[in-house]
Amino acid sequence: MDGREKSDELFIAKKEIIFQNQEKEKLAVELIIASKELAFQNQEKENRAAELIIANKELAFQNEEKENRVAEHIIANKELAFQNEEKKKRSVELIDSNKEVGELEKRVKERTEDLESFSYSVSHDLRTPLRAINGYAKMLGEDYGTVLDTEGKRLLGEVRNNAKKMGVLIDDLLTFSRLGRKGITKSNVDMNKLIETVLSEINQSTTHNAEIKFSNLLPAVADNNLLQQVITNLLSNAIKYSSKKENPLIEIKSVQKNDELTYSVSDNGTGFDMQYVNKLFGVFQRLHSDEEFSGTGVGLAIVQRIIHKHDGKVWAEGKEGQGATFFFSLPEIAKTE
Amino acid sequence: MENSSVEILLIEDNTNDGELTIRALRKGKISNNLTHLKNGVEALEFPFGTGKFEDRNVSEKPKVILVDLKMPKVDGVEVLKQIKENELTKSIPVVVLTSSKEHPDIERAYLIGANSYIVKPVEFEEFSKVVMDLGIYWLLKNQPHL
Repeated sequence: MDGREKSDELFIAKKEIIFQNQEKEKLAVELIIASKELAFQNQEKENRAAELIIANKELAFQNEEKENRVAEHIIANKELAFQNEEKKKRSVELIDSNKEVGELEKRVKERTEDLESFSYSVSHDLRTPLRAINGYAKMLGEDYGTVLDTEGKRLLGEVRNNAKKMGVLIDDLLTFSRLGRKGITKSNVDMNKLIETVLSEINQSTTHNAEIKFSNLLPAVADNNLLQQVITNLLSNAIKYSSKKENPLIEIKSVQKNDELTYSVSDNGTGFDMQYVNKLFGVFQRLHSDEEFSGTGVGLAIVQRIIHKHDGKVWAEGKEGQGATFFFSLPEIAKTE
Repeated sequence: MENSSVEILLIEDNTNDGELTIRALRKGKISNNLTHLKNGVEALEFPFGTGKFEDRNVSEKPKVILVDLKMPKVDGVEVLKQIKENELTKSIPVVVLTSSKEHPDIERAYLIGANSYIVKPVEFEEFSKVVMDLGIYWLLKNQPHL
């Protein structure tokens, strides 16, 4: 082999080497790119893994929440079931007690009706013999008055007085029993006018020197006739029990508080001992003898019955020898009723 | 005929109330022609001329009938009803007497045709006055329907 052949071979070899180097470089670059790609993909995988972990945690949390809620639901359902059971028990109890109340009401109604028809016939049938006692005593006086001496006439007078008293008693009792049967019809009542009416009626049948004070009384919503009866009884009492004082003074007042209208009638008369206050409103209950102050003991019972029918209250305050005040209150009702 | 033999027919079962009523009328000098019947059965025989009163001339009508509400067997309401339902007797004024203004029959009595309704007062003076007033009104003042 000659020189030329050798240099040609070298040249080819160099080219070959250059090419191979070039190839290597190319490969190296590709490797770098591939490595970068790999690194990026690894990063992505890690990112996703991290996201998955977070998502799993979230899921776990949500599951826990769901479980909690289910547990709460179970408890709430148990509570509901218990409450339903209780409600059932209570409604059974209510039905039972309603039945009892119904029966009681029926019995009370029957009793009341019995009592009312009883007191009605007693009052009615008592009047007939009373009229005879009174009438015959009068006839005796008219026909034989000249034959009777003073004592005889006095005795006859006692018979007549007592018959008269019993007549009043029966009338009061009738009024009282009538109240049980009658319903009430409410309207707006001008108390100032009502008191003037009552006073003019009282003044026609009774002479008294009491000073009676009242002004600008609040209007009431009540049964006019029944309220007039209340005022008549309270004012008659005030006049009667202050009649022995030198300057009898009677005051009528009204106040409004806590949805209640309260009226009071006070006098400076004989008063009463507070330890007997609970006897004042009882039927036939009296704190004075007939000689001191005449009366049947029904007036205040009538007052109480009327006020109770209006869902109101009655009470009294007093001191022996220093006057008395009688109060009654009415619940405040819409004036449009 | 203006002059009837019976002017007042009193129907009252209670002897005492009867006596008191008659006495009061006598005081007012209006008890001359009064007949007092003591029960509802007789009270119905009289105006219709039946039973005990078969021989009575029924065209002679009392000027007023006073009838007590409460009587055994045939009560005042029944008497009133029969009198007011009969052509022969329905023009006779009927005054119902009772012991109590509470009587449940008051309304019925008026519906059936009572001409007046009187509550007998316990007080004799009042009772006398009421009886006298009603006697005077029905006998002397009222113009009878013929």
